[in-house]
Amino acid sequence: MKSLRMHSNALAVAAIAVGGGLLVYGKPAAVDTAIVAGIFALIALSAGLIYGQAGILSMTQGVFAAVGAYTTAVMTTRFGWSPFATFAMSIAIPAALALCMSPIVNRLGPLAVALGTLAFAKLLELLIRSWDSVTGGYTGIAGIPPIPGAGQPLVYAALVWAVLTAAVWCYENVMNSMFGGALSTSRHDRARAAADGVAVGTLLSTTYALSACFAGVAGWLYAHHIGFIDPHSLDSHLSITVMLMAVVGGAGVVVGPVVGALLLTVLLQVLPAQEVQGLYFGFALIAVLVFAPEGLLSRSVLKSIRAQVHRWGQQDSAPETQDTKAGLP
Amino acid sequence: MLNLLEYVLRGLLTGAVYGVLALPLSLVFLTTTTIDFAVGAYALVAAVVAAQIGGVFGLVAGLGAAMACSAVLVFVLVLLKRQRGDYRISFILASIGLVVALSSLVFWAKGPTALLNGTVGGVAHLGPLILPYAGLINLAVGVSLLAMLQVVLFKTHAGKVMRATAINPKAASLAGIRVPVVEASTILAGGLLGGTAGILLYYSSGLDFNSPLTLSFAGFGAAVIFGMERPLRCFVGGLILGVVEAISAGYASGAVASMLPMLFVLLVLSVSHAGSARFSGDRP
Repeated sequence: MKSLRMHSNALAVAAIAVGGGLLVYGKPAAVDTAIVAGIFALIALSAGLIYGQAGILSMTQGVFAAVGAYTTAVMTTRFGWSPFATFAMSIAIPAALALCMSPIVNRLGPLAVALGTLAFAKLLELLIRSWDSVTGGYTGIAGIPPIPGAGQPLVYAALVWAVLTAAVWCYENVMNSMFGGALSTSRHDRARAAADGVAVGTLLSTTYALSACFAGVAGWLYAHHIGFIDPHSLDSHLSITVMLMAVVGGAGVVVGPVVGALLLTVLLQVLPAQEVQGLYFGFALIAVLVFAPEGLLSRSVLKSIRAQVHRWGQQDSAPETQDTKAGLP
Repeated sequence: MLNLLEYVLRGLLTGAVYGVLALPLSLVFLTTTTIDFAVGAYALVAAVVAAQIGGVFGLVAGLGAAMACSAVLVFVLVLLKRQRGDYRISFILASIGLVVALSSLVFWAKGPTALLNGTVGGVAHLGPLILPYAGLINLAVGVSLLAMLQVVLFKTHAGKVMRATAINPKAASLAGIRVPVVEASTILAGGLLGGTAGILLYYSSGLDFNSPLTLSFAGFGAAVIFGMERPLRCFVGGLILGVVEAISAGYASGAVASMLPMLFVLLVLSVSHAGSARFSGDRP
């Protein structure tokens, strides 16, 4: 029972996956949306981990996903590796890049870190565009093979959501461990964490690398889903988008970024004009920041929803009670 | 040697726009200790409105539209400050949200076409050096704006009020200064300066719906080089960023040249005081 409670977020994502699977079954366009939403949710989860738990406003998550995608694209198309064999590389390379960047990230204030990570993301993006012999430059890499056994869209959607559930489970385990406790202390008071014997720098670097791993996995899934990758596929604009998704859902809540990504991806799919999607998106973010600053799944929002439901319940039952009272002798 | 001199001069002309973009960031940071990332979007909106209406009235309307957009963030700041906790990161995210919204609006209205007015064409010959008139106008406007700002900040009552708010908002409030009004005016002034940068770009290198974030990034990069506390330092930071960009474009390959400004910003952040607490209120 305790274990179930500890993994309530992973169970919630699994439930969303099953429910969503039933909803999209037999609808190819909806299945594709489910796949994209799952991949974006994984990148948003990485943004939620690094921003919501470590307090680092990172603008690199989209580019880490691109690195993961390019890694598998290059290994599978140029060297003929199996997608399963490239999985570890797609995780390791973004994590290594995050570790390289972490000494700068760790010493910067929250406002400067946004600029520093954005500069790093732009640098990686330019490297991807310029390194024609490896990344294919502006034309990108085509012909990325599908994952064996997951060629069918519905199977692929199941794989994406299973990976997402596993990532949430892993995230929960991390946050329930001593590592998570130290991270939480460090986010609220670095000096206190250091005084408690926490190696704050190592802690933040590890968290940054872990978030890059999540983004790398998302990139791996993306590359094998689309079968093509170019510099515009996953760029620094995506980093901003997923950060906004995490904030909308609630970056400090484990499952918040998943819900934010799901809501916004579905919303963007059903909106009429693609050109004005950013307009809805931008103002939705401002509205959330103003009216629910900790996200839609924050405790304060859930508390006010519960209070509202309670009030409605009381209003519904009030006349009934009076009738009952009136009927008493 | 002559080539180097030309690159440096051209860099100064480009950097003047970055300097103008850095000024509102410095002003807003001084009074609110947060960053208005939407300066690039104000620039775009001003350019679009100026292009749409045309003439002098178009320029005025463009600047007005930029200020109207910044007014959105004034309301956001007021609402965010009512909440408990640190509002600064939320304000930055809201300003990024405004960038996304305004860029999308411009894309919807004008499409992907670049906005460029070539009426200020021609080049000036300074001995063997050739410099574009549009760039020289940018530098002149940038220096004039900086001089005006320095006068306002250090020689007027309004500037004293702003500086008092920047140093200690609580003490300023106790001394009778209406801090929220000062903060709102600063954000609106930021909209005006951002809009001015947009107009300058409209008449020189042009801009499109994709530009806002890059412009904000350039302005922010310029602002942090020597610290955001002084507009003069921010403007000089912009000039240096422009020179680095021009020299790298002149001597390095295209790919390396486009990477050098990013590397420069990373280097500055790694070694300067930008990462310290006094830059922006350190993560606790």
